[in-house]
Amino acid sequence: MKCTRCKATAHVALPSHHSGFCKDCFPLFFTRQVETAIRREKMFTHDERILVALSGGKDSLALMLELHLQGYDVTGLHIDLGIPGSSDKARAKVERFSEKHGLKLEVFEMEKWGLPIPDVKAHVRRPVCAVCGKMKRHHFNRIAVEGGYDALATGHNLDDEVARLFANTLRWDTAYLSDQGPVLPASDGFVRKVKPLFRLSEFETANYAFLKGIEIHSDPCPYATGASFTGHKELWGELEHRSPGQKLQFYQSFLKNGKPAFAAVERETGAELKPCAECGSPTSAGTCSVCRIRAAVRESKAKAEA
Amino acid sequence: MITVNLEPDGTVVELPDTRSVHAVLNKLRLRFTMALVVRNGELLTPDRKLKDGDVLMVRKVTSAG
Ligand code: SF4
Ligand SMILES: [Zn+2]
Ligand SMILES: [Zn+2]
Repeated sequence: MKCTRCKATAHVALPSHHSGFCKDCFPLFFTRQVETAIRREKMFTHDERILVALSGGKDSLALMLELHLQGYDVTGLHIDLGIPGSSDKARAKVERFSEKHGLKLEVFEMEKWGLPIPDVKAHVRRPVCAVCGKMKRHHFNRIAVEGGYDALATGHNLDDEVARLFANTLRWDTAYLSDQGPVLPASDGFVRKVKPLFRLSEFETANYAFLKGIEIHSDPCPYATGASFTGHKELWGELEHRSPGQKLQFYQSFLKNGKPAFAAVERETGAELKPCAECGSPTSAGTCSVCRIRAAVRESKAKAEA
Repeated sequence: MITVNLEPDGTVVELPDTRSVHAVLNKLRLRFTMALVVRNGELLTPDRKLKDGDVLMVRKVTSAG
């Protein structure tokens, strides 16, 4: 196979785009896709400050590097979850990466904040990943708001978005279906959230990461119970194989035809949000669930030690 | 014989009579867009031919969250 652009030997074949690219032209294709996403969805401008959530996975690192190369004002934010044998490795990887490329990085430590994830595992009865995810979203948003950032960017790719949309559709979860998308506008207490990789598949992001020398390997979290949505992703891999391009089409048709209808329903029935009594983050309860979980763990630990 | 280092599993598979990347992926039951195939640091598209003794790294791309 020859590169669609320069006719050299291709290194990446892309059936959904009826094309293939060599190692030098593929990153240009990737850049175009990110540019299109940012422009069409009006994600942010070169005058704005962007906070990028960096888990240490290939998607978040690829996003950070690409936005930096495009000249955006980006700062990375890594949350150290305090999980022995895994968090230290993820953190070191993010720090190495940031140093190598000369990128700004902030690290927030759950342990210092009083709630390392192992304490959640030990003292909270709900599934640890649900609480952990909630904590991460809370702090990403809070730090973005407090730091005066214009947008919070995450590395979600097309496969993540389609798998999530598919899961929400299977449950007809109108609340989630009303605001899932590549851009969530800012509202009281919430920073604007954007997903600049939403047009790119996991395969495309992995190729980009490989060609840019980003470590693709990450040590799995010991609490992971098999990745969420893996089954849905496999199903969609089959559909995409049979009709290339279907994933992006499913997602874009949802944005155009499905989402507005769900948003209209939510406007009628959605809950009203007020600042949390303790931390000021928006919540429909008096004290937000993150603050309540932290208090409950503190109490449970005090009891265990008494 | 083609030697395949399968990532992230960390397993090694030996495949006899396998002459293309396409054939390797079929034997591993992977669709083209489910894995990167690398030989000596170079990414290979499915149509690339292989020769006896080639050592490949095949990395599945679906990330664990
Ligand atoms: S696997 Fe669960 S506990 Fe571990 S980092 Fe992910 S969400 Fe948190
Ligand atoms: Zn080329
Ligand atoms: Zn709170």
